[in-house]
Amino acid sequence: MAQQANVGELLSMLDSPMLNVRDDVTAVFKENLNSDRGPMLVNTLVDYYLETNSQPVLHILTTLQEPHDKHLLDRINEYVGKATTRLSILSLLGHVIRLQPSWKHKLSQAPLLPSLLKCLKMDTNVVVLTTGVLVLITMLPMIPQSGKQHLLDFFDIFGRLSSWCLKKPGTGLLIYLLGPVSIMFSRFICVVTCISTSFLFIPMMEHVRIHPELVTGSKDHELDPRRWKRLETHDVVIECAKISLDPTEASYEDGYSVSHQISARFPHRSAEVTASPYVDTQNSYGSATSTPYSTSRLTLLNTPGQLPQTLSSPSTRLITEPPQVWCQLATLWSPSMVCGMTTPPTSPGNVPPDLSHPYSKVFGTTGGKGTPLGTPATSPPPAPLCHSDDYVHISLPQAAATPPRKEERMDSARPCLHRQHHLLNDRGLEEPPGSKGSVTLSDLPGFLGDLASEEDSIEKDKEEAAISRELSEITTAEAEPVVPRGGFDSPFYRDSLSGSQRKTHSAASSAQGTSVNPEPLHSSLDKLGPDTPKQAFTPIDLPCGGADESPAGDRECQTSVETSILTPSPCKIPPQRRGGFGSGQPPPYDHLFEVALPKTAHHFIIRKTEELLKKAKGNTEEDGVPSTSPMEVLDRLIQQGADAHSKELNKLPLPSKSVDWTHFGGSPPSDEIRTLRDQLLLLHNQLLYERFKRQQHALRNRRLLRKVIKAAALEEHNAAMKDQLKLQEKDIQMWKVSLQKEQARYSQLQEQRDTMVTKLHSQIRQLQHDREEFYNQSQELQTKLEDCRNMITELRLELKKANNKVCHTELLLSQVSQKLSNSESVQQQMEFLNRQLLVLGEVNELYLEQLQNKHSDTTKEVEMMKAAYRKELEKNRSQVLQQTQRLDTSQKRILELESHLAKKDHLLLEQKKYLEDVKLQARGQLQAAESRYEAQKRITQVFELEILDLYGRLEKDGLLKKLEEEKAEAAEAAEERLDCCNDGCSDSMVGHNEEASGRNGETKTPRPSSTRGSSGSRGAGGSSSSSELSTPEKPPNQRAGPFSSRWETTVGESSASIPTTVGSLPSSKSFLGMKARELFRNKSESQCDEDGMVISSLSESIKPELGKDLGVEAKTSLNLDGPHPSPPNPDSVGQLHIMDYNETHHEYS
Amino acid sequence: MTEDSQRNFRSVYYEKVGFRGVEEKKSLEILLKDDRLGILPPHHESHAKVMMYRKEQYSDVLHALKVIRFVSDATPQVEVYLRMYQLESGKLPRNSSFPLEPEDEAFLAIAKAMEEMVEDSVDCYWIIRCFVNQLNTKYRDSLPQLPKAFEQYLNLEDSRLLTHLKMCSAVSKLPYDLWFKRCFAGCLPESSLQRVWDKVVSGSCKILVFVAVEILLTFKIKVMALNNTEKITKFLENVSVL
Repeated sequence: MAQQANVGELLSMLDSPMLNVRDDVTAVFKENLNSDRGPMLVNTLVDYYLETNSQPVLHILTTLQEPHDKHLLDRINEYVGKATTRLSILSLLGHVIRLQPSWKHKLSQAPLLPSLLKCLKMDTNVVVLTTGVLVLITMLPMIPQSGKQHLLDFFDIFGRLSSWCLKKPGTGLLIYLLGPVSIMFSRFICVVTCISTSFLFIPMMEHVRIHPELVTGSKDHELDPRRWKRLETHDVVIECAKISLDPTEASYEDGYSVSHQISARFPHRSAEVTASPYVDTQNSYGSATSTPYSTSRLTLLNTPGQLPQTLSSPSTRLITEPPQVWCQLATLWSPSMVCGMTTPPTSPGNVPPDLSHPYSKVFGTTGGKGTPLGTPATSPPPAPLCHSDDYVHISLPQAAATPPRKEERMDSARPCLHRQHHLLNDRGLEEPPGSKGSVTLSDLPGFLGDLASEEDSIEKDKEEAAISRELSEITTAEAEPVVPRGGFDSPFYRDSLSGSQRKTHSAASSAQGTSVNPEPLHSSLDKLGPDTPKQAFTPIDLPCGGADESPAGDRECQTSVETSILTPSPCKIPPQRRGGFGSGQPPPYDHLFEVALPKTAHHFIIRKTEELLKKAKGNTEEDGVPSTSPMEVLDRLIQQGADAHSKELNKLPLPSKSVDWTHFGGSPPSDEIRTLRDQLLLLHNQLLYERFKRQQHALRNRRLLRKVIKAAALEEHNAAMKDQLKLQEKDIQMWKVSLQKEQARYSQLQEQRDTMVTKLHSQIRQLQHDREEFYNQSQELQTKLEDCRNMITELRLELKKANNKVCHTELLLSQVSQKLSNSESVQQQMEFLNRQLLVLGEVNELYLEQLQNKHSDTTKEVEMMKAAYRKELEKNRSQVLQQTQRLDTSQKRILELESHLAKKDHLLLEQKKYLEDVKLQARGQLQAAESRYEAQKRITQVFELEILDLYGRLEKDGLLKKLEEEKAEAAEAAEERLDCCNDGCSDSMVGHNEEASGRNGETKTPRPSSTRGSSGSRGAGGSSSSSELSTPEKPPNQRAGPFSSRWETTVGESSASIPTTVGSLPSSKSFLGMKARELFRNKSESQCDEDGMVISSLSESIKPELGKDLGVEAKTSLNLDGPHPSPPNPDSVGQLHIMDYNETHHEYS
Repeated sequence: MTEDSQRNFRSVYYEKVGFRGVEEKKSLEILLKDDRLGILPPHHESHAKVMMYRKEQYSDVLHALKVIRFVSDATPQVEVYLRMYQLESGKLPRNSSFPLEPEDEAFLAIAKAMEEMVEDSVDCYWIIRCFVNQLNTKYRDSLPQLPKAFEQYLNLEDSRLLTHLKMCSAVSKLPYDLWFKRCFAGCLPESSLQRVWDKVVSGSCKILVFVAVEILLTFKIKVMALNNTEKITKFLENVSVL
């Protein structure tokens, strides 16, 4: 509680007049706020403020820091709900917001915003609405993005307010609402182009440029949070201002291309905010006059095709536009055309100036039309795009009111332009002298002050004073500068420029003299002056129907129109409109816009008075009176002021229209006071808003200034660079000079060189020529040389030939000489021989003589001797022959014998082979025979066995025995015969062997045993031996028996035939001999005795074998011839044969 | 001997054919000199005479046999041959009804086979006689070695078969007599037998082993299928039937 009380105390102390105390308390509050986070203190402060409207508290509240914002907003929200506190809390909110607290971004989230919107939707109090809308407008740029969610609310409010304005046009205070609403509209258009266009703000469209987003953007894009993130509040404001066509709002700073061009062309006008009443109030005449022009101009430029609609003011409607203008205008276009608007609404900012200056140049030129003066059709075509001082032209018609010029103008626009130029200059020249007519910026404060003093309206006095003060501050600051401080936005910027320009113009035109211009004091505003134009354009049709009126009437009409327009009273407009432009169809918002700038009243009063003064001056001038007295002027001013005021008062919807209460000190009625208070409040609010805007602009201006400074620095830098460049250029020049020198020198040198070269070339040429000559010569010489060589070779050849010839001849010579010598020698020999012959002849003769002398005894003896020798020789020769012959024969013999020997050897070999053959043959046969013999033996054995078997049986059987025996004997006989043959054979062989050995008388036979046996058998003749022979293998006991005797007998019998068998042997022998003989006879035909010897010895060597073989042979032959009886006298034959053999043998040996 | 260095280039070929020397005449003579069964001598001139001897011997023996009534006209020729052979070799039994020896059986088998080959009985007898003689004299030592050689070669050719035979313990009971003593008489068809015997006559008794091995290999699958000694033996004895 103590705290509370303390707070109360402190609060009360805040309002203390002591500055120190106030500061202290403020500090204490701030400390508290810093330390305390609770809502209480803030709430208390808000409450207190609402109660007392205390400025320090407001200050504290507006500087609240972060944590308390919520409390503050909550509190405000609370109070917004209550109708009673709504207005004051809204103003507090406006204060807070305008200061742009650091937490401004929270505004969109705070519950305050919806409640504010709600309030705006619900409330019907114009003051509250206006304040709220202003707050909202201020707030919107701060929350461009987050405000989107309430977009529809905004539109609702907008729609409501605008329609409300339409519905209740009569309400005086509503006009205050119009301004904020239009601003709101421009905001919408800027921020959410597409959405707002789709939201049917079409009627307001002509007050904004077509936003590029309308083409490129989309609704989604507009709601994109990124779009506004990087922009600050003032950026958003400027962004909005860019698209606004409203002079109060519009900005041309780096705007769109068209506006840019225009702004460049009319720098002092482009940023004009004439529509704004505040600005207007402070504007000089120039600015004021130029304003409508520029605005209309802008409108014209931006909305070319839409001209009728754009010039929505009724005045324009009536005018018939000349086609040429339209042609030119056709190149331009307007957003309203795009929107397909047919009913052109007028912007609130636009219309009043139009109306106030219906005969402004633009309209005059483009269609002139709006003005009752009817300048338009004849006025020069705008040609605005090419000339920077177009405004001058435009202002011309009024200035150049002379008939000839008029005609010219009608003929062609071109000359007019030039003339206009001059005229402008003239006019400019006139301006400075005009003390009141053209007020320069520097003069403005004072002028305003005068005006203010003259003004009798108490309510407006204060404001005026404040404004003028502020303005004076600015203007003083801007008095010096050539470079304007203010931004392009600033109305002052343009003013100062225009002022300065004007000065220059005047300076320029002063030289030309003013004689041409009938109105030396013509200011730009003068052009609007009704007098001159009226006069000038009277012949032309006047659309307002006052064409036939006298200039005076015209003027009156004009003035009345002007005043009526200029006065913010809505009541006056309708009649004026009605009178001027009957056919004009007012767009739904028109009336609202007209009254949207209400407070311009006093300000227009001032202007009016000025105009009037000027007119008066003009009149005086026309009349030949150079000037009026200041007193008169003052009087007139007062008069005008009174008129204006009365009109103003009439405008106001005051219940009682007592005339006296204002100017004459009467107490005003309470109703009026309340109304005025409201108005004042509204004005204050608007002012605050404007100030906020200006702050934003200032902020921006500062930035731009920084840019400008930077640019300046860069320019300086640039200049420095240029200096450097110049220096360098100088250097370059120097270098160039030196280069030229060098080049000259070089060329000189080159020339020298060239000459040298040419010389040398000529020399070379000469030398070459010489060389060629030499070359030719040498070639000639060479050819000659060659010829010579050829000749030499030929000669050599010839020489050779000659040499050859010589040699040949020499050879021949030598031969010849040899021959010669030979012949000589032969001759000599011949001679010698001849001589010898001679000598020999002589000797012969001599010998012959001697021979003849000694011939007789020696010849016989010699002959004998010779014969003896001859014989001896022959004898010896024959002996030798004999010897050689013997030798030959013996050798032949040897050879013969040798060959014989070889033959014999061969024969021997063949014999051997043959013997081998025979032996083999015999062996084979022998083997066969042996096998047969064996078989026989076996057979015999078998038989014997059989016989023995049979005997055994016989002995058993007596009778049968004898029979058996006989049979056995018969078999025995057969067998014995065989055995006998065998024995005989062997015997004969043995005998033969004996005989052979005996006969040869040499070596004994190789078989002594057989010989012995045979001899034994012969000698003994016993059967035992024969039995032994026949059956050697058989045991003797088998032989022993009764048959043995018989066996012997048969042997004995058979032995008688043995000799025959033996005797037959020689035949076999002879066969052998025959064979041998055949062999020998075949192989060697002529056989000497020696040969036979050899063969005999050879045959002896093989005798034993032969003997053996012979034995076998004999046996076989015996066997073969066995059964046959041997031939008779075998012995003799055998003897003979043996003898024969021996003989032959002997023969051989 | 100096020729050795410049030997006839054909000598290699000659050696292949069996000629030791280059002079074919000599070698041929040497070859031809070898009498085969010794029935006829190599000398052509004595052929007629020797042949006459042989015939006479044959008729003599036959006559003797007939005389002692050992054979008659009804006696089969083969037996006649046998008796003749017995007589000549001195092994004639006292009575014809005496049981025959195993070698006599072999003789009979050979004779029977030979009888089909040779028409003339004298020739036939002599060939049989000499053939058997050769077996009994020339190959007397090598014939008992043949079963071993057979095993050896069979092992080389097909050890599995041998092991199979061994497993059946049929190795020792194979028809060796039929193969090596009768020289496949009655076991092989006549044409095959002629060729085999040609080799045998020429002096190689090993051919018998190879023939035996080949028979086994030919009937390997069947032999392998048999696992009984008797069956195997029986099968092998009846090869000619197959």
